[in-house]
Amino acid sequence: MDNRITRRTFSALLVSTGMVLSLPAFAQNEIKIGYNADQSASGAAELGLSGLYGFQAAIEDLNAQGGVLGRKLVGVVRDDAGAPPKSIQNMNELIDNEKVAAVVGPTNSGNALAWLHIPQQKKVPVISHVATATDITARYAKEPQNYIFRVSMVDREQLALLAAYAVKASKSKNIAIIADTTGYGQAATKDLQEILTLHGIKPVGIEKFGPKDTDMTSQLAKLKAAGADMIITGSLADATAQVLKSMEKMDYYPGLLSTWGSINTPLVNIAGPKLAEKTIFAASTTEDASDRAAALHKRLVAKHPNMPAFVSAAQGYDAVMLIAAAIKQADGTDGPKLQAALENLGKVQGIIKAYDKPFSKEQHEALGVADFHLAQWKDGRVVKLDDPVVKGLTAADLKR
Amino acid sequence: MTAILQALASGLALGAIYGLIALGFNITYATTKTFNFGQGAFLVPGSLVGVSLLLLAAGKPHFGNLTQAEMTMTAYVLATLASVVVVGAIGIALYYCAIKPFVGAGGLNWVLSTIGFGIIMQNTALAIWGPASIAVPSPLGSEVWRIAGAGIRPQEVLIAVVAVAVMALLDIVLRKTRFGKALRAVAFNPQAAAIVGINVESIVIAAFVISSALAGLAGILIAPITTASVFIGLGVALKAFSAAIVGGLTSPRGCMLGGFLLGVVEALVGLWRAEMREITIFLLIIIVLVVRPGGLMGARSVEKI
Repeated sequence: MDNRITRRTFSALLVSTGMVLSLPAFAQNEIKIGYNADQSASGAAELGLSGLYGFQAAIEDLNAQGGVLGRKLVGVVRDDAGAPPKSIQNMNELIDNEKVAAVVGPTNSGNALAWLHIPQQKKVPVISHVATATDITARYAKEPQNYIFRVSMVDREQLALLAAYAVKASKSKNIAIIADTTGYGQAATKDLQEILTLHGIKPVGIEKFGPKDTDMTSQLAKLKAAGADMIITGSLADATAQVLKSMEKMDYYPGLLSTWGSINTPLVNIAGPKLAEKTIFAASTTEDASDRAAALHKRLVAKHPNMPAFVSAAQGYDAVMLIAAAIKQADGTDGPKLQAALENLGKVQGIIKAYDKPFSKEQHEALGVADFHLAQWKDGRVVKLDDPVVKGLTAADLKR
Repeated sequence: MTAILQALASGLALGAIYGLIALGFNITYATTKTFNFGQGAFLVPGSLVGVSLLLLAAGKPHFGNLTQAEMTMTAYVLATLASVVVVGAIGIALYYCAIKPFVGAGGLNWVLSTIGFGIIMQNTALAIWGPASIAVPSPLGSEVWRIAGAGIRPQEVLIAVVAVAVMALLDIVLRKTRFGKALRAVAFNPQAAAIVGINVESIVIAAFVISSALAGLAGILIAPITTASVFIGLGVALKAFSAAIVGGLTSPRGCMLGGFLLGVVEALVGLWRAEMREITIFLLIIIVLVVRPGGLMGARSVEKI
């Protein structure tokens, strides 16, 4: 029996004690940023996983430049598996035990709505880099300090872009809506009706289908009979794929516009690569949108060959860049000061764009309809759509 | 006109799925006057086991997506046989855990025990495969066949052909063979059947194995349409159960007829108002049950639960 403590076990002991006690020397030198998002379970998990890759890449880049305020940035990553209770638990753990300066996440809007009160009460800024529900940034908008920010695509803003495209592209101005019966689909239907009213257009048809339906030919037959040449759908990728498959059955291909859910691979896997190219959807960026985006995409794919949606990687990257800039400006990680700094940022270079005063007291959305692109699948990749209709869109068309 | 033709084609395709699953209710009801309320959950291992075997054969992990090239007819047939065997074997476990303790004892304990068994199985599948769905290409390709302007997919035709074949087979087996006679004897009077030398328990087990195997078959057949996932079974099994009730639980032909009827009604009502589909279907069921309590083709005066 050899009871000597070898150097290796000794250093392992040191490391583990260091983790348990979180030695003050470490804590002062490092700045921790939390990541709490579904990376494995729900239909949107791909967005959370890509978001993580972007989050990590931004931390790498900042550390390569010597960190922030001379301190090293450390990402503390938690997967909430799409479950609100797990997401709440992660949030408490990140804030109370890990003492993170800020949190990036979550993937699912429902999870955000379940724990918004925690960072708000504990005064820790959060940047939502995926979840799109309008209420996330709005809930505490009337509080003296609102700790919830977003670098993602708000539902209403995406739909505004889709509606603008549909109105421009439709020859007959016969525009229709088809959506699933989930809360998401029905909220999208309501938003779309309101937005189309602003354009002075009444949809020629509004159809519903069950979230697990596989045949929408009857609903589409009604829209076809009504003469719809542009259809906007508010549903997740797998349902949009079934709409496309039903269109194929009928050999009826009006323009099909969808929200950024279509960026997820179930669309391509279920509808097949050729059919998937027939829907146009909203995206904040694509891998071919700019040189910076192309460079980040190349770097991430080299490291993660199966990386799905690039768009949330870019949003995760930019979220970290904005937090880092705010820490610099606040000269520390004190929550209220950090929140104030986020609301008063100057110019920050991101992947999606060069941000200039991205947030203010009233505006907690870094991205709006003007920043969004339309995109589509081409040969298994998401590319920016650049047709004459897109070129003809002006700010006045983006009614919301 | 094309719209109505399309609705008929789509409805028959949907109805074939309902009918095929409904046949699984028929065989055990004909033997024990019980059936597996968790039948929907049995579609889950049916599709996932088959798809995972196809994935493993293609040298991939058990969870992922299949490409069209990896889906050959031979591989699909082998995977289907494997699904049928595996899910059929689960049927034996179903009998011993959820049916045997309660059969013949009266009461409705078996209703809850079969639902419970299904939930256990679904959650086991959730632990193994996770919640995401797997896209499954059809071995017959993804093109659309067009008949007078109405589109239908080869896989949908395959399901209808298999469903009708299974129905015919069940019909013949039940009416013409010794095994079928034994099944019906057990259903009519288990004690008397035992006295004349029929091994009642093995007949009942066989019925549950066939019923479960049919769910396995349905699971892998519908995977190219619905995708394979832990959540495919529930909605479709409720419709299949309704089809069996409308058509007649005691008759294979009735189950199939009920399936087609429900599918076509669903598609045709969708042409009018999509949100009225379920309302119409369940109103129809109530009317049928009032007029013909045994279902359209069922024996009269059957005890209903």
